[in-house]
Amino acid sequence: MDKNIYKPIRCEVKEVITESPTIKTVVLKPEEEFSFLAGQFALLTVHGVGEAPFTPSSSPYDKEKLEFTVMKTGRVTDAIHNLKPGDIVGVRGPYGKPYPLDLYKGKEVLLVGGGVGLAPIRALFLALMETADKYKRVVFCCGAKTPQDYIYKDQIFDKWQNLCEQNPLCFRITVDKKDEQWRYDEGVVTKALDGLDVDISNSVAVVCGPPIMMKFTTLKLLELGYKDHQIYLSMERKMYCAVGQCRHCLIGDLYVCKDGPVFTYDVIKGKPNIWV
Amino acid sequence: MDILYITKQDWDNFIQGKAESVDIFAPFEQDGRLLYGKVSPENKQEIVYNRVRTVEPLKMFFVPLKERVVPDAQEIPERVIMGVTNCDMSGLKILDKVFRDGEYKAPNYAERRAKTLIISADCLSPYPSCFCEIVGTHPYSEEGFDLNISLLGDGVLVDVGSEKGRSFIGGDQKFFQASKEQIDQRENNRQKTSEKIREANREFDLTDIRKRMRGAYHTEIWRMPKDIENCVQCGSCTNTCPTCVCFLLEDTGEQGQTTKGKVWDSCLFPGYARMAAGASPRPTLYDRYANRLLCKYWYMVEHFGLFGCTGCGRCIAGCAGKIDKRKVLTEVLRERQQI
Repeated sequence: MDKNIYKPIRCEVKEVITESPTIKTVVLKPEEEFSFLAGQFALLTVHGVGEAPFTPSSSPYDKEKLEFTVMKTGRVTDAIHNLKPGDIVGVRGPYGKPYPLDLYKGKEVLLVGGGVGLAPIRALFLALMETADKYKRVVFCCGAKTPQDYIYKDQIFDKWQNLCEQNPLCFRITVDKKDEQWRYDEGVVTKALDGLDVDISNSVAVVCGPPIMMKFTTLKLLELGYKDHQIYLSMERKMYCAVGQCRHCLIGDLYVCKDGPVFTYDVIKGKPNIWV
Repeated sequence: MDILYITKQDWDNFIQGKAESVDIFAPFEQDGRLLYGKVSPENKQEIVYNRVRTVEPLKMFFVPLKERVVPDAQEIPERVIMGVTNCDMSGLKILDKVFRDGEYKAPNYAERRAKTLIISADCLSPYPSCFCEIVGTHPYSEEGFDLNISLLGDGVLVDVGSEKGRSFIGGDQKFFQASKEQIDQRENNRQKTSEKIREANREFDLTDIRKRMRGAYHTEIWRMPKDIENCVQCGSCTNTCPTCVCFLLEDTGEQGQTTKGKVWDSCLFPGYARMAAGASPRPTLYDRYANRLLCKYWYMVEHFGLFGCTGCGRCIAGCAGKIDKRKVLTEVLRERQQI
């Protein structure tokens, strides 16, 4: 008999990290092997509550644990925020297409993440760092509403910055509205793209964040000279099956689950209501 | 393909004999409409052959309205479904592609298909809402069935479409090879029905619908046909559609235990595409109505190489808002004439 495609594997909650007032990271230990590539997503089941799609935020190279960074926005995410170490959840996947890292070789990779959109970017960033010498340079633009809304604070403001000394890394960090302690820039994340010294013809831009942020970032990137096919966007839609059956995630004729969740702008532009 | 002949009376006895060892579902009349029921010694005379489609789509036998998918299902029984019209047979091709033939196999589906013998039947009395002929299909089946039956005077022509169908008949001596005259006569009946359906749909123009629906996303186009306003988003069209496959999964398990149910959903429901934080990519009725038709005549063509519409007309006959989809399509396509 075929494996039941809707049946998740069991994972134990090891730790729940509060990232910001609305965002937590759950650290899971899968009871069976679970591996994924950066950009692929998984469905996380809270038993008796429901299931929702998330892109893991941990490194694809980390075989010991699996992390999901989740913003509290509804029924399932509320339940995820209430998880305690020792609880059992379900995970199935990975689904969708990964970031095509082979195409990024030798290029300047621009990462643009806003708010909880930094979660999939983190998995990608950590994957890039494993083989950092393959890429010409990684430029990481981060944004959040306020300093306290930043996720991965210890990493962005400290740990990852130190990676800069050994690797060709560049961080551009901004908040929409700063406070007195803030020592980086102020302004929406597109502002972090001003004065970018990147060889755009030899670059790709990877964007993940709320729809409005992705829209304006895309417009800004186009203005800077990026071509449609150089811009990688993470799309989100309501989803149940994740395997191209339930049809909830269609954006026009494209399945977010199978054709995405990452699309280059040339593929997705012109489809209905993409910035939702 | 073998085409056999049996008298109607012998066929009735044959089916009754079979019904003693396997569940047979066939169309029965109820309040002037056809509904599937289980064949029993009491009702065998009332089976309706070769009239028209049933109210319920065939999909309910293979994709139940609600089923448990995790943990794995209970035993799936052998059964026979008889009197399936071609609009449902054509719809089955889409279901097979979605749930059986892709990389991911849906639980239970392939087993249900394998354990079901399908006896299709020619449609001879189409409803005014029937329009198979204008979406490229016919009121009779030429493939996909195990057996197909066509009433012919006081006899029945039986096409044998599969090994399964052949062994269902076995060595029954009441079946004979059909004569050329009988086959010609059947062909004549079929063509008459086809012509009747074409004639009834003469005012609707779906020419090149495949090409003209491509890219017809924009809400403005769908605001033009006045009738769409009458949609009450009840989901009748999607529930009765032989190719609407949308479903949702629900979790009912306790902590640590996975129990998942699979339930039909409808893209006409406002909550269908709504995301966790409340935003919806299809906020208006027009977006949702457009999505359903784009899915039928474009997306499914793209995904499966087949129309997602078989012309059964259930979405027209059952529409609470009395919307005639053919009229809506004709109006939308007229606007896309220039494409």
